[in-house]
Amino acid sequence: MAEASLARVTKRFGETLAVDNADLTVANGEFMVLLGPTGAGKTTLLRLIAGLETPDSGKVTIGGSDVTVLAPAMRDVAFVFQQYSLYPHYTVFENLAFPLRAPGRRMGEQAIRKRVSEIAEMLRIGHKLKNKATQLSGGEMQRVSIGRALVREPNVFLMDEPLSSLDAKLREDLRVELKRIQRDLGATIVYVTHDQLEAMTLADRIGILDKGKLVQVDEPRTIYERPATVYAAQRLGSPQINLLPAGRLGLTPGNANAITAGVRPEDVEVGTPSGFDARVIAVERRGAEMIALLEVDGGQQVHALLDAHRPVGEGASLQIAVRPGAPVWFDGKQQLINA
Amino acid sequence: MTDQTIQRIASDTPDVAPRFVRRVRGLSDRAITWLFIGPTLAILLAINIFPLIWTVYLSFTNYRANQPGREVKWVGTRNYERLLGSEDIWGYLQATAHFVVWTMVLQVLVGFGLALLINRNFRGASFWTTLILIPMMLSPAVVGTFWTYIYQPQTGIFSYIIDFFAGTGAIDMIGSVTLAPWAIIIVDTWMWAPYIMLLCLAGLRSIPDYLYEAAEIDRANALQKFWYITLPRVLPFLMLAVLFRGIENFKMFDMVVELTSGGPGSTTELASINLKREAFEKWRTGFSSAFAIILFVTVFGLGNIYVKALNKVKS
Ligand SMILES: Nc1ncnc2c1ncn2[C@@H]1O[C@H](COP(=O)(O)OP(=O)(O)OP(=O)(O)O)[C@@H](O)[C@H]1O
Ligand SMILES: [Mg+2]
Repeated sequence: MAEASLARVTKRFGETLAVDNADLTVANGEFMVLLGPTGAGKTTLLRLIAGLETPDSGKVTIGGSDVTVLAPAMRDVAFVFQQYSLYPHYTVFENLAFPLRAPGRRMGEQAIRKRVSEIAEMLRIGHKLKNKATQLSGGEMQRVSIGRALVREPNVFLMDEPLSSLDAKLREDLRVELKRIQRDLGATIVYVTHDQLEAMTLADRIGILDKGKLVQVDEPRTIYERPATVYAAQRLGSPQINLLPAGRLGLTPGNANAITAGVRPEDVEVGTPSGFDARVIAVERRGAEMIALLEVDGGQQVHALLDAHRPVGEGASLQIAVRPGAPVWFDGKQQLINA
Repeated sequence: MTDQTIQRIASDTPDVAPRFVRRVRGLSDRAITWLFIGPTLAILLAINIFPLIWTVYLSFTNYRANQPGREVKWVGTRNYERLLGSEDIWGYLQATAHFVVWTMVLQVLVGFGLALLINRNFRGASFWTTLILIPMMLSPAVVGTFWTYIYQPQTGIFSYIIDFFAGTGAIDMIGSVTLAPWAIIIVDTWMWAPYIMLLCLAGLRSIPDYLYEAAEIDRANALQKFWYITLPRVLPFLMLAVLFRGIENFKMFDMVVELTSGGPGSTTELASINLKREAFEKWRTGFSSAFAIILFVTVFGLGNIYVKALNKVKS
């Protein structure tokens, strides 16, 4: 395992700026998650680390050495592709064993067999080893793809939305499993997703991507509590953070540049003895908790996250307030103001 | 057509349209089904199934198509016995097998090779593709005639080039007993390797890049990439192309007749050429019917075995 880093890396495809001057260092043994909507440049960033794309400018290093122009095979990385990339006419076993059989990595047949069945058990595809890759379900194929990365012990694991095609239950199981594997191996992983829950639960640090730019790289807690930009604030938390103009709900900034307040739904208190009059427009129950969409006088809409047993129904009128000290403030350029 | 125009047409032809609709409505689903299938079935029976059965019948007789008045005698399996016992016939079948096997082998090698080259998408690749495809679009008779000039020992370019590089002196491809079978194989390969290339190209184009990228990261070498990714993906296309061309070449006639007319001696007398001689020069209709049936059963049997293998590769 080794660290990996990008220094001022830029990649264009014709007119599109896929990765814009990105600086990113992934420490040895760190689980880095790249989060961003579709088209943000997540895949491109991974491909740059893997060597499947060459940067237009900037430097890529793995384990301290400059690999910017090195071929993918020489970088010793493992890549899980967004699409399952299996050898279609070979069995699951052959697919998993393939990376171990590559030239220059001569491993005994006995050792290969052992390693493959270990990984297959872990990913719960042990009973499918004799199946051909084309005879698997989408989820099974994806697990074989993950397995093909895990059989090796590369410098860095690069994973491009590896769990996106699995059902919710399996995704949750594999998430836990992946985190455990990463801790056990001390693996360096760069993991791409647009699922914030995955990002929050897996990451040691999250990198937020916006149109090719890394807007913030920090621990999940930090990004959640002190998002560097409005965009970063919106990427984490469900429902999304409330954005309120200064002055609304009695929110007064301590800084003249502060224009917008970000208030997390759980920081909106509902049914307070004093506060602002609001009407409940919609209620969404999510099991243990519920989300209320409220409209304050003047038409401002606010989401609040409440306990499921709170007696709040649609159409009710009540009073709300923002928990003191909760808001984060952004300036006219949507940047965080450090108070 | 919009609803309005349909309505307008309907009201312009007040008598015909409703009556026709009523009549069609009066038919049952079953009747309509037969109405659609019927004509096709009739044509199929008339021009495919009936002649086949008729040929089977004729193959057991001594019928001669040029003597319609003559009494037709049932001869049992005598035609078949004579065919299978004849050294000449085995010779023609052997020549055909030689032709089919070698044209397929060479065309697969050349066609697949060309497809791999063209698939590299170098500059001008589409121009070269068009150029390579030209032979395939020519008429076989033209190709045959055209190659008789190329093969001309004194003035032809083929003999000149071979002589230039190998110093063999003038060579007569068509006149030589050993070379003539290869002469027709070369021409057929020249003409039809592009077809194999085209189908292989379709297979190659269907392979997504990320498969190769994944292999690259796994440190696969070029041979492994070919073996694990390219070949399995292209094989169904390739086998289909070979099936089409193999059946065609089993029946090969026009190009070879133009080029060698079966000669010298009967070295390039393929089964279909001999069949034509028996049927329309010697007018032994019964005998040649039996020959046709034997060829048909052979192609049909081989084709079926082949299709089974193809389906296995596909799944
Ligand atoms: N090979 C390419 N040629 C041209 N443009 C490309 C290429 N690859 C990516 N792009 C463009 O670069 C941008 C970033 O693409 P990228 O695949 O990195 O997005 P992503 O964040 O992985 O999105 P998704 O979540 O949909 O996978 C997009 O605008 C895309 O259209
Ligand atoms: Mg992507």
